[in-house]
Amino acid sequence: MTSTGHLSAAEAPAETVVGEITYLEAIRVALRDALAEDDRVFLLGEDIGVFGGAFGATAGLLEEFGEERVIDTPISEEGFVGAAIGAAWMGEHPVVELQFADFITCAFDPIVTVAAKTHWRSGQAIPITIRCPSGGGVRGGPFHAGSPEGWFVGTAGLKIVCPATVADAYGLLRSAIEDPDPVLYFEHKRLYRTLRAEAPDDSLRTPIGPAAVVREGNDATVVTYGSGVGTALAAVELAGGDVEVLDLRTIWPLDEAAVLASVEKTSRVLVLQEAARSTGAAGVVLSLLARRAFEHLDAPPALHAAPDTPVPFAPELEDAYLPSVETTAAALEALLAY
Amino acid sequence: MAVEPCAENQSVGREERIELFRLVLLQRLFEERVTALYRQGRVPGSVYTGRGQEAVAAGAGLALGPDDVVAPLNRELACHFARGVEPADVFRNFFGKATGPTAGRDGNMHFGYPGDGIFPLVSMLGDLVPVVTGAALAFKRRRQPRVAMTFLGEGAFSVGDTHEGLNLAAVWKVPVVFVIQSNRYSYSTPVARQMVNTNISQRVFGGWSIHSERVDGTDAISVLATVRAAVERARDGGGPQAVEALSVRMHGHAAHDDARYVPAGMREEFAERFDPPARLAARLALDGLSAGEIDAVREDVSDEIAAGLAEAERAPAPDPATVEHGVYAAPPRSSVG
Repeated sequence: MTSTGHLSAAEAPAETVVGEITYLEAIRVALRDALAEDDRVFLLGEDIGVFGGAFGATAGLLEEFGEERVIDTPISEEGFVGAAIGAAWMGEHPVVELQFADFITCAFDPIVTVAAKTHWRSGQAIPITIRCPSGGGVRGGPFHAGSPEGWFVGTAGLKIVCPATVADAYGLLRSAIEDPDPVLYFEHKRLYRTLRAEAPDDSLRTPIGPAAVVREGNDATVVTYGSGVGTALAAVELAGGDVEVLDLRTIWPLDEAAVLASVEKTSRVLVLQEAARSTGAAGVVLSLLARRAFEHLDAPPALHAAPDTPVPFAPELEDAYLPSVETTAAALEALLAY
Repeated sequence: MAVEPCAENQSVGREERIELFRLVLLQRLFEERVTALYRQGRVPGSVYTGRGQEAVAAGAGLALGPDDVVAPLNRELACHFARGVEPADVFRNFFGKATGPTAGRDGNMHFGYPGDGIFPLVSMLGDLVPVVTGAALAFKRRRQPRVAMTFLGEGAFSVGDTHEGLNLAAVWKVPVVFVIQSNRYSYSTPVARQMVNTNISQRVFGGWSIHSERVDGTDAISVLATVRAAVERARDGGGPQAVEALSVRMHGHAAHDDARYVPAGMREEFAERFDPPARLAARLALDGLSAGEIDAVREDVSDEIAAGLAEAERAPAPDPATVEHGVYAAPPRSSVG
């Protein structure tokens, strides 16, 4: 499947400010550095070569690395994800771009049937990275603004990472490309040009697995990832309180020890995710808390997430659908007041 | 009607003919043995056979070079044997043994040796078409003179992966060979209920401009000659190739399936004239092999299967304590502890 157009116009990448880059630029630099350092790395996807990608993440890479390293594919997610698996079997480290994370439905079978189970069944590593531009707030509607990572949470054999910062956009992508297992890399479209930070050193690798405490606190923990991290940090400022924010970074497999360690300290927890409330990481975290943190809790674990509907288009509806700083602050206040 | 000997073909010499006979018999007798074990309750799960299609598996398997790779399916046991897999390995997988190729994590024909160029079968039809296409893409970008192959049947031609994979192979012009097992049925559904134009070879050429030929899939010598030519065209830069091998599936889909849906007498009539091992034996007799020499091959194969079975029966079962092992090549760690 390909874009219907209204979101696909690649802007020329912003001029890089010396020393500072955007989240999107961090992705492009990570791809460029990986291509330059390791000849096993090549890119596959729709409109990633001549056009530079629907969002510009691969702009300039065709010119620098040529058409054998940056391959414009037909509109065949199932086919080119399967082909990436076959190339990985031969020792390559292919990086697939799905134009929108929503289109991962078309590639469900090779991801879950083949990539996820091959090492377990045969000992053969499948080092593929699948980049999935996800998330709402861009008026994309039900086919271009989803957060479908939850469908894969719980799938043995897959690793799922969701960078929330410029540094992790770079460091998690480099780690994913080097990793011997299949990694789904969910990059949030709203963060592409809204996050800007010091350009990471090319040696930066964010390890796959560990969560990170991005704000320390003692009275409550917000467990979140991806777009939720920025929302949580702003909500804590708004609500006040001595609140810890835990960025999962890798949502599957879950860093259970990090979640438990924080909640044992704070005794209150809000799970925040942009994905619909009955999908994915939130359920796994809440199950863990019910089983393993029950006696440490001073309040029922809270969940703030999008409702169980597809992502709506109209600005009024999408704004009501997405967890915002204000609604998250309200959820946090209720938790602290319990 | 008497059995028809394999057609004469000068490109396949005496030693190769004997090797084809050995491989076809190895599949036939192994599958008879494992089916009997299943009926005795000694094989968990199910048993899938390629009875009637052994010549395709053997001929295509032998057509590959030492550095080529392949993804065989359920009906291609002889292809595994042609690539160096031994009967004991396969028995260990049927029994779910710890030392089998999947360590008891998968069963029956669901196995491979990916480190040795054999990708493990997945059940979803068509999935392996893009996978071998991707392996061939790696060969092309590395300028390696290697070829990737998979098998697929009529059933896979109703699945999207197949069409996407064939298209990518053609667009990328990669060295891959698709061996199509046209055995007339997909489980219980005859081919006429699955597609309008049942000439798959014609569709593959017409749809994707992939060079495609039909071959008698019960004649192992013809299969070897035809598939080998396709493999070498692919190796020489000719892009993807297809060979459609025509045969009849002489068993049900699996051991539990009595194939009552097949018209009475069809398989018996077919077997009388076109049974793959009998066709090879008849050709070898015409070539001057004595009945004693032909029987000696049969005896060696029987001995090999018996020895493999005994070895597999002695193999250890998996340790239940390992049930959560092996999911990741690099298991993720925590930030704590």
